Amino acid sequence: MTKQDIVQFLKAQLGKGYLRHSEPIPGQVWVEIRPEATVQAVELLHRQTDARYLMSVGSDERELKDRFGVYHLFTFDQQHFFVTLDVSADPKKPRLPSITPVIAGANWSEREIRDLLGVEFDGHPDPRRLVLSDDWPQGVHPLRRDFDYSAKPPSKPENAYPFKDNPPGTTVVAMGPYFPVFEEATYFRLYVEGEQVVDVDYRGFYAHRGIEKLGDASLTYNQIPFIAERICGICGFVHNVSFCKLVEHASGITVPRRADYIRVIMLELERIHSHALWLGVAGHIIGFDTVLMQTWRMREPIMWLCEKLTGNRKTYGMNLIGGVRRDIPKALVPEIRKKIQAMDKEWRAVLDAVKDDTTLRMRLEKVGILTKDQCHEWAAVGPVARAADLPMDARKDHPYCAYDAVDFKVITADSNDVWGRTIVRILETIESFKIVYQSLDALMELPEGDIITEIREDIPAGRIAISAVEAPRGEDVHFLLTGGDNRPYRWRVRCPTYPNLPTVQVMVKGEQVADVPIILGSIDPCFSCTERMEVCDVSTGSIKVYSQEELFNWTKNRRERFETV
Amino acid sequence: MFLSKLKEAVICFKHLRVTFPYPLKRNPEALPQPDFRGRPRIDAAKCIGCAGCANVCPSRLIIVTDRKAVRRLDFYLERCTYCGRCAEVCPEGAITMTGEFETATDRVHDDMHLSAEVYMGTCQRCGRCFETRTTLDRMMTTGFRT
Ligand code: SF4
Ligand code: SF4
Repeated sequence: MTKQDIVQFLKAQLGKGYLRHSEPIPGQVWVEIRPEATVQAVELLHRQTDARYLMSVGSDERELKDRFGVYHLFTFDQQHFFVTLDVSADPKKPRLPSITPVIAGANWSEREIRDLLGVEFDGHPDPRRLVLSDDWPQGVHPLRRDFDYSAKPPSKPENAYPFKDNPPGTTVVAMGPYFPVFEEATYFRLYVEGEQVVDVDYRGFYAHRGIEKLGDASLTYNQIPFIAERICGICGFVHNVSFCKLVEHASGITVPRRADYIRVIMLELERIHSHALWLGVAGHIIGFDTVLMQTWRMREPIMWLCEKLTGNRKTYGMNLIGGVRRDIPKALVPEIRKKIQAMDKEWRAVLDAVKDDTTLRMRLEKVGILTKDQCHEWAAVGPVARAADLPMDARKDHPYCAYDAVDFKVITADSNDVWGRTIVRILETIESFKIVYQSLDALMELPEGDIITEIREDIPAGRIAISAVEAPRGEDVHFLLTGGDNRPYRWRVRCPTYPNLPTVQVMVKGEQVADVPIILGSIDPCFSCTERMEVCDVSTGSIKVYSQEELFNWTKNRRERFETV
Repeated sequence: MFLSKLKEAVICFKHLRVTFPYPLKRNPEALPQPDFRGRPRIDAAKCIGCAGCANVCPSRLIIVTDRKAVRRLDFYLERCTYCGRCAEVCPEGAITMTGEFETATDRVHDDMHLSAEVYMGTCQRCGRCFETRTTLDRMMTTGFRT
């Protein structure tokens, strides 16, 4: 279906519910619909077309258009365009129909909008808090424009988080908020029967830093790339490129070709060291520390190379709107190529050794199953989806920077399990090496020094844009509504872990407790990415409340078990 | 099975131990490169007090205060992200990014604080000391006027 077909289809099916459509940026279609038609429209797109759900964005547009705007974003991967459903909510009593009953993956987006903007979603199956901390007062919505970015409302410790009830006959096993195999704070509450996981509940978002609010309220366009980069400690450059691409899309700035290639090189170096890191961590989780030692040893020269090219081993600080800050001189190219070739050779040796390792395969095969249909339902992305034979990759589907000019394969597997995800990542890294070689060739052709476009006009207000960049963990989507004072009006980040993390509850059901860490590890979770959003005040008090309750439940259950024995 | 274990063993034995007893001994390969972005240093003699650095700093840690004809710049570097933007926009090259990266200290307020005082002349024209390269970095702080 082409863009026109989709618009015509929606128009015909929705009748009065359809309002208008526009395409301000080629490939990004905005369809305005009436709130009553939301569920029908989402159902049509999700069930009858090739659309894949991305995220929902809420924005407080009371000053602009006297409304709360809610945007449901979809992508058509094979046809290379985005379709966004734009719905208005009442400025006084914002209420909209929930789309979570249709698309399970919309669960978090809607809860987030509810927490941060106070838009209620009718028919949401799980309207608990998601983003705000337990002691945040009711009725205070920090992403509203009239909430000051540095305000600190008084703590209300009485709102304890309502966890799901134990299914009958089960015991609670708490993993988190601090748990040895998770690198960051997160809390999984497993309901187990013997060794088997029956159900699971999740509480996270302990690491909020208010980044989006800062971007909307206090920083300027050229300052945000540096904070965007700090959303994630591993794939920061992805967020940095995503943000710059957004502003460049919205204002029609073209980036010099050389800068495009430099961005590609850095993105791929990041993928290489991220996948090497992941393989090591995965090995560590299952107790195969040799993998950890060796992949991290290989990774180190890549980190030094990044340091040489950019000035730091991580958080490269390379991007500004319109290009990059530092050139890669032609004289350095042979050295870079040599280092990458060395890593390439070692990586192939690892693949060769690991692929027939029966102990590894026994441990990872048929564990953490997520099928194609479940991926579609939960909007899973990246290696998780690719291991379920869904060939999605933003580098191919929505080419950015210089990805239209380099040749590489999208790696897929059809085993739907942790082993599939492992193999996808290992092979993908080999594709990354190829991309780097090709980009280095291109750097030799292009003139040195032409790396940034001068910007002489302000970014116009009221422009809207989407950008998707393929991070090591899956596609990273940013949304922008430009504002007037040299900063965004609304900037929303959806990192790849955001849709992938909720799929863990599907994957762990019926599995052994001992497999839970590696299943979680197999999505390569990045909690700090997921939790980038709001001014949050998880006081030590509220964490203490948890652990006391946990300990209490834990001991109670233990006691009951002993009593029944 | 046996073969893959053998291959894994070969990878390990080829490299043996690669870690260093840092900080007693450093890995020469891992020392900062010439363009490393470490802790910034300011040369007060070169500074003209334009406040360009304060304007672009993403961490907004450079505080500018004017007292009569003296402009004071305070860098509270405990928040510094080592991005090097201040050094990049400075029209006089007064800020340099050094190779210093071992900045852990228990006296944050002294060790991570830089300051410079500049005597300002009266500006007769627009009040802005220089033009930035793009409008996105435009000067929000005006220059010195009395
Ligand atoms: S290096 Fe960056 S964060 Fe540090 S003072 Fe300079 S501009 Fe600010
Ligand atoms: S940008 Fe340079 S000259 Fe201007 S105030 Fe900062 S240090 Fe001084």
